Amino acid sequence: MLRSACVVAAMLLASIGTPRRAHAYEFWLRARTYGQAYQLREYRLVGPDLFLGRHRISQMLALRIYDIGDLAAARKLARMPDHGPRITWQSYLRIDHDFGTFTSGRITLPGPIRRDALDVIPELSESVAELDLMYGYLQVDGLFDDQLQVQVGRMLIDDGWATGAFDGGAAKVQLPVPIAVSASAGLRVRAASPLGVGSYELDGTSGAGCREYVEGPTPGTGSWQLIDRNRAIHNSRLSSDYEYCPQREVRQPTIGFSLATLHTHGVSAEVGYRRTWSETVGVIGPVDRLDYPDVGLYPNEVGQAPATGVNEERLDARVHTDVHVGSVTLLPYADARYSLLHGLIDRADAGVRVQKGDHSIEPAVEYFFPTFDGDSIFNAFSLEATTDVRVAYQYAPSGPLRAHASGWLRTYDDTPGLPRVAGGLDGGIEHTFGGAWRARVDGLWDDGWGGRRVGAAGDAAWKGHAPVWCRGRVIVLGVNEDDATSALSRKFVTSSAVVSATFKIAETIGVHAIAETDYDAIHDLQMRVIGVIDLAFAPEP
Amino acid sequence: MKTALAILVLLVAGAVVAGERDTAWSPVVYPEQRLPLVFSHAKHLARGATCTNCHTDAQRSRSAVDNLIPTEAACRACHPIDRNQPDKQATPIAACAACHLGFAKDQPVQRVYLTPSPLKFDHSAHGKQTCESCHGDMTKVDLATTRQLPTMSSCFGCHRQDTGDCTVCHLAKIGGLMETSFPHASLVPSSSSLGDMHGPGFDKDHKQQARRLDATCNACHDRSECVECHQGVVKPADFHQANYLLVHAVEAKRGKPDCSACHRAQTFCVACHERSGLGTRGDTQFNSRDPSQQFHPPGWATQGMGPNLHAAVAKRSIGSCASCHREEDCLACHSAEAGALKVSPHPPGWRGSMRCRALDRGNRRMCLRCHVTDDELGCDWQK
Repeated sequence: MLRSACVVAAMLLASIGTPRRAHAYEFWLRARTYGQAYQLREYRLVGPDLFLGRHRISQMLALRIYDIGDLAAARKLARMPDHGPRITWQSYLRIDHDFGTFTSGRITLPGPIRRDALDVIPELSESVAELDLMYGYLQVDGLFDDQLQVQVGRMLIDDGWATGAFDGGAAKVQLPVPIAVSASAGLRVRAASPLGVGSYELDGTSGAGCREYVEGPTPGTGSWQLIDRNRAIHNSRLSSDYEYCPQREVRQPTIGFSLATLHTHGVSAEVGYRRTWSETVGVIGPVDRLDYPDVGLYPNEVGQAPATGVNEERLDARVHTDVHVGSVTLLPYADARYSLLHGLIDRADAGVRVQKGDHSIEPAVEYFFPTFDGDSIFNAFSLEATTDVRVAYQYAPSGPLRAHASGWLRTYDDTPGLPRVAGGLDGGIEHTFGGAWRARVDGLWDDGWGGRRVGAAGDAAWKGHAPVWCRGRVIVLGVNEDDATSALSRKFVTSSAVVSATFKIAETIGVHAIAETDYDAIHDLQMRVIGVIDLAFAPEP
Repeated sequence: MKTALAILVLLVAGAVVAGERDTAWSPVVYPEQRLPLVFSHAKHLARGATCTNCHTDAQRSRSAVDNLIPTEAACRACHPIDRNQPDKQATPIAACAACHLGFAKDQPVQRVYLTPSPLKFDHSAHGKQTCESCHGDMTKVDLATTRQLPTMSSCFGCHRQDTGDCTVCHLAKIGGLMETSFPHASLVPSSSSLGDMHGPGFDKDHKQQARRLDATCNACHDRSECVECHQGVVKPADFHQANYLLVHAVEAKRGKPDCSACHRAQTFCVACHERSGLGTRGDTQFNSRDPSQQFHPPGWATQGMGPNLHAAVAKRSIGSCASCHREEDCLACHSAEAGALKVSPHPPGWRGSMRCRALDRGNRRMCLRCHVTDDELGCDWQK
């Protein structure tokens, strides 16, 4: 074994040490630096609200490297379409640092006890000092006469309703019939993954498994309890059960398959399957309960805890078609997702987009049943589905005037004391004047469950030949929150003014500055400032 | 509300019926031309001329930048043009004014302006096709304009549109994305394109366009642009308009727009609500035991008699519960463990239901959060 390892190591060293031809690959880099400073409120029932400073620096770096190894260079030079092996790298890295009192401040708990906000609210750690790899994978196209594509690295999972990611590999094979088969396997990205991203977590389990066994007067007579909020927090995994939530850190293997049509004119369809599961950690039996410190999570005196649990298991299907009837184009579609874990369809929609010239209208129906991570008990409380009817219209010619409008209606189960419907309308008109000026007016009205809102927005933008672009917007919105859930529901009018400017320093380099003021009778005047250095600046059309 | 919806539908239907504009020829792909000429393809073809008689380089051309318009020298092959005799009477005609619109002696001739199309096109590779197959029937055309150039939909008559490789024909910039910014205009998807026109409501309503298997989003947009907005750290100002923090509760309660498309309630929402003093763990002044300090209205969580409003709201908007509360808050009452209130959240007929069995089979850990003993677990009544 050792000998084999030495041979492999020697070969690797020899490979690295061998002089080779240098390659200059085509790459594309997009970098953005955001600096933000604003204040958030800590609401007080007695006395004025406190202000928490939020100061954020965020750096994004997107990288694409094309044709690694120059495998497609000859065809490019001959102006021929891509064919044969091509190797590409795509990644998106983000550094996010929040150094204001919002995340880094201290909280006074009853006692009074002063604690770091992060100890009391671990969810804040998502934005303190994070290095996130949103995605980053090597892709090999064109293998086996363009029949196979392989990806390795961190890839996105997107079924159209939510985004996640996994670390692993994926392959897509084009069959002799016009169908492509895809398969992927790896570990789902969690906040605890290396360079992990919290927003990729399945939702619903902020406190999953964060319980403790509190011993009774005699060994074995204790019970499982919620973690005591008043207990001293030492911010150490070894001495504090509070942060001992291993179910949130355990690896989540995931596999996925899909069958999709390929190059079928006028119709495209896909059927997919994904399953994510995780080991049960912290299983504790009667004997373990006598040990100290107790670090178990799931009672298992009689083997009732499973070895693994499914976090998501879904079948999804979608179909889109194009039908041309004279000068009218019909684009019907339908999507559905069935959760095998919950034994129900949790998402579905169907509609048709009708396009004629510059006009399009899209009536659609959407169905939604809330589901969560398989570890979450919110699944037990989720009982009511909603169905929406929606109509959207767009007028988008290449001329100066463009417009949009939409309306929606939702009905709920008949529950005494709660509104049975919700619905709304919104629309807007945009006009350009001579290419340099653009003006837009939007209106909004909605009502029913959630509250009532009526408002309008006016927007003007100027883009001349100078390297400066300016935009301003004024919004007035009246809100009447419904009082079903909050004793603090309010009725108020808020107005906002936003001014932004972009200065093009050089080709693909720009600086954006945004200033926003909000005024309402509850909070008086508020301000927010954002600055962006954009190293891949491309002006908006 | 029904009346309002009906009016909206009528308005939209009226606008659609109102007619359409000819948008098949993009002014970005085919920039505006200035052709102060008098010319008839129909007459030339009727007299037996062929396309290559005049467009001599067309079959050899490999680039859309090549100027394939015949020059005066090519016309001289048949027309006895003499610049010293602008009014020359001859057959075929040779007077300058016969071709140059508005020609006047001692005045400069109006120039022809043709901005090259920002496309890649190889005429020589299409040698097996007839000219008419792309340029149409020229026997009825006088002066040819951009309307005699092929549209993208006519290209799709032979070429597959779902390859996703738009840069086979469109210019690419470094990195392989499509070049969309040109001195004369910017290229954006039009209504005559692939069903992906970027109208003024597109930023809020592009789900279906992005979900299509043949979506061409990645031809122009790097994937990081999607992630930057959907998983972003900066509030997208066009989507969550100003003062959104104050007014977001209305939309969040409905889950419309779908918050979960970008945010996770149990991290993003909980963190902010707790830090703002609206949760249960942070420096909150709300107190569920003191009626004067309750966040929720009276009768929110009552045992026995009482409205017990929270049950109906949780049933309808469990997502908004999850934006403040962690599971432990629910367990305090709903757990079936010894010492807990054992208030069952399950609807009638839960045990034995397909959903109960699916959840129990898939992940019993969730059940173990409330049900500890073996006889409480499972979905079988007989147990």
